[in-house]
Amino acid sequence: MTPTRLEAPLKVTGRAKYGSDHNLPGMLHGYVVTSTIAHGEVTAMDVTAAKAAPGVVAVYSPFDPLVLRSPSNPMMGNTWVPLQDRDVTHRGQPVAFVVAETFEQARDAAALVEVSYAERPARTTLADHLDLGVDAPPGFDGTPSTHVVLDEGVESIDEAFAASAVVAGGTYTTPAQNHAAMEPHSAVAHWDGESLTVYSGNQAAAMQQGELASALELAPSAVHTVNPYVGGAFGGKGRTSVPAFLAAAASRALGRPVKAALTREQVFTATANRPETLQEVTLGADRDGTLVAVRHDSWCSAATDLSFVEPTSAGSGHAYRTPNLAISQKVVPLNIPRTTFMRAPGEAPGSFALESAMDELAVALNMDPIELRLRNSSLGPVGSDLQWSSKYLDDCYRIGADRFGWSARTPGGREDGDWLVGMGTATAMFPALQFPATTEITLRADDTALVSVGGADPGTGLLTVMALLGAESLDIPPERITPRLGLSAYPPGGLSGGSTATVSVGSAIVVTASAVLEELQAIASAPGAPFEGHDVTYADGRVLGGGRSMTFGELLTALGRDSISATGSAGPGEELTKHSFSSFGAQFCEVRVHRWTREVRVSRLLGVYDAGRIVNDKAARSQLMGGMIWGVSAALHEGLETEGDGRFANGDLAGYLVPVNADIPDIDVHFVQHPDTLHNPIGARGVGEIGIVGVAAAIANAVYNATGIRVRHTPITIEDLLEG
Amino acid sequence: MDISLEVNGRTENLDVGPGVTLLDALRERLDVTGPKKGCDRGQCGACTVHVGGRPVLACLTLAATVHEPVTTVDGLATGDDLHPVQQAFVDQDALQCGFCTSGQIMSAVAAVEQDVDDVREFMSGNLCRCSAYPNIVAAIEQARRTDASV
Repeated sequence: MTPTRLEAPLKVTGRAKYGSDHNLPGMLHGYVVTSTIAHGEVTAMDVTAAKAAPGVVAVYSPFDPLVLRSPSNPMMGNTWVPLQDRDVTHRGQPVAFVVAETFEQARDAAALVEVSYAERPARTTLADHLDLGVDAPPGFDGTPSTHVVLDEGVESIDEAFAASAVVAGGTYTTPAQNHAAMEPHSAVAHWDGESLTVYSGNQAAAMQQGELASALELAPSAVHTVNPYVGGAFGGKGRTSVPAFLAAAASRALGRPVKAALTREQVFTATANRPETLQEVTLGADRDGTLVAVRHDSWCSAATDLSFVEPTSAGSGHAYRTPNLAISQKVVPLNIPRTTFMRAPGEAPGSFALESAMDELAVALNMDPIELRLRNSSLGPVGSDLQWSSKYLDDCYRIGADRFGWSARTPGGREDGDWLVGMGTATAMFPALQFPATTEITLRADDTALVSVGGADPGTGLLTVMALLGAESLDIPPERITPRLGLSAYPPGGLSGGSTATVSVGSAIVVTASAVLEELQAIASAPGAPFEGHDVTYADGRVLGGGRSMTFGELLTALGRDSISATGSAGPGEELTKHSFSSFGAQFCEVRVHRWTREVRVSRLLGVYDAGRIVNDKAARSQLMGGMIWGVSAALHEGLETEGDGRFANGDLAGYLVPVNADIPDIDVHFVQHPDTLHNPIGARGVGEIGIVGVAAAIANAVYNATGIRVRHTPITIEDLLEG
Repeated sequence: MDISLEVNGRTENLDVGPGVTLLDALRERLDVTGPKKGCDRGQCGACTVHVGGRPVLACLTLAATVHEPVTTVDGLATGDDLHPVQQAFVDQDALQCGFCTSGQIMSAVAAVEQDVDDVREFMSGNLCRCSAYPNIVAAIEQARRTDASV
């Protein structure tokens, strides 16, 4: 099936209402004030002028705070809430909130707030503070962050390298990055005396509802969150945002609706970023390319609360078969904004290091990089007895090499006029996960069905997938399904994160459909019902029995009922004891480096993916293409530059470079479709993140192929390619 | 100050300060929320509207300086009939989250009307972090074919 996105007509006409598109009667506007130091304490705040400014209704600060409690949940840990104390841990931290009748009045008054600080020295750069690194806690699945596997008779990883015929690798670095979703974090909140309604883009309504309820000490049932349209998230809207907390608390305090949004500049400091990383990778192999040892030691930056780890080493325990493995992960507390999940956390920067090192090993062995990867293809995580449930990476490489014309590649690249042309490749992997989810299905007398979940569709295509999988499970055309999501009023589940929404929600839909159809058949044959005394079955939207059939709508009408509903849940289970689960892909890239200007242009990109069954080809293709472009961005464009005083030198959309249309060539996405029903009944494995994985390395490898220059950091810039 | 704006064919009279942008006038005063505030600095293109038929960044335009008719994405369709560029964006899946889409479409309409030579270059003032760029180019090509056939 390849339908267009169901909500597309609303998005192309401006009728899709995002959080800050809500305008309510009597609404006030809030504006956040942020710190101008990176470390210290707010000693005083003069708000006299701000309070006297036209239209100002309130100025909140640590000295006159809106009371908020820090919420906590098992997946995200503690979420920081603003204005509760006077500590400043990073530059750009929210320290005050001005509320006024209009946006302009709030903004102008915010400029009048005078903040005094006692400043302390700040640590802001990873490279200068590696010594502060502490061992990262285990991953959320319990995997230890430091992990050593040694072959029988091998005493240490160093001994394994000493016994390797060829050793390659190096130190690789990647910068902090910002999700830069087009919609800045914003909220409209309305307290009606008993309950709170919040419109604010988020990755799961139930999570936002829980955080707001906990922060405001309300029963979850008193908080309604409404986010059917989210202007991009990519991990950056998992936690409830500062504007949502402040607007909600201010609305409660003032008894009027409040709208608040971060400015684009504030998004870089008042939300959370992808950590900066430094990674040391060493690979040892026999002359024939068989890996003998893999070592991957990582350091990542974090805020002083150490609330997030970018697990870059972990993937090196999954990608390749090796008898000896040593991985470690350290996290370094700095005076920087909080860090968090960003598209393919761990895998995106981790694969840059590992897949660059694999290319370096291929060069050292004088071996084709694809051959090296296939020779060492893993059967499962190193040291685990649980093999991959399904892996067709060989097919991805074979098909990809053919489509891309890989056989034309030569070790030294080729020249085309003033352009040096190179090709590169890399393996992509992303774990196949599933989270618990509950859905509700309502069959209605007009022969349509509602399928509902509280999860979010920030451009992923979940809404359309719900219609397709609902239709499949209820055996009716998708046009007769009305999918609904994004409201806390719907059942919890379908969080947009970890490439899980299709699998999590789809699996719950299968269970729920079965429950509602069972109920339908039970009422069909109940005493006094049209099929009384008959065995009934269900197919094609109809109940069959006693030699006749009725649509479910006709049956409900005959019974005098408008509808019947059921809820059902699904989640990970016994399959986790039997197999390991991952998606795979082969990334191919061609770059052109200008001989004189050293400009790098990506001229061709191909990704071939083994991600199980693809439910909606059109949206999956778009999402993977987007992920691959994120890889181009990581390789050649984006990276936060931190000054010594903790200021981001490029913290806006003019300085923080992301690709524009002219940077991007046509992109080829291909699927190797093998439904993975060992993982879940749908057979899908999620495609939200794998598209980015490996692309930055494929580009760096192509740059090496074109120029002979190995760049071990991103983004790769012109300066890196200037010779002598 | 009292100003008068013609927005999507309707004349609106409003009282705004001289520093109020066209974007905030549309979104916060007139509830015309198709144009989006992605940066408020002319760096992203999400607020692109047409003034007098030309694409402008509503966040860098003061409302009081606007004397020609304003068209936003909200006013492109004719009843339930989508503008050919809107339809092409749907058909080519030229959007994901949709937040940049209003601005992309207003620039794309200009690209079709001006029959620009280099679509990718022309569209490079509109960021799309979901990165639907190849599909946006395909949508403009589809709309051009539709345009040529009428």
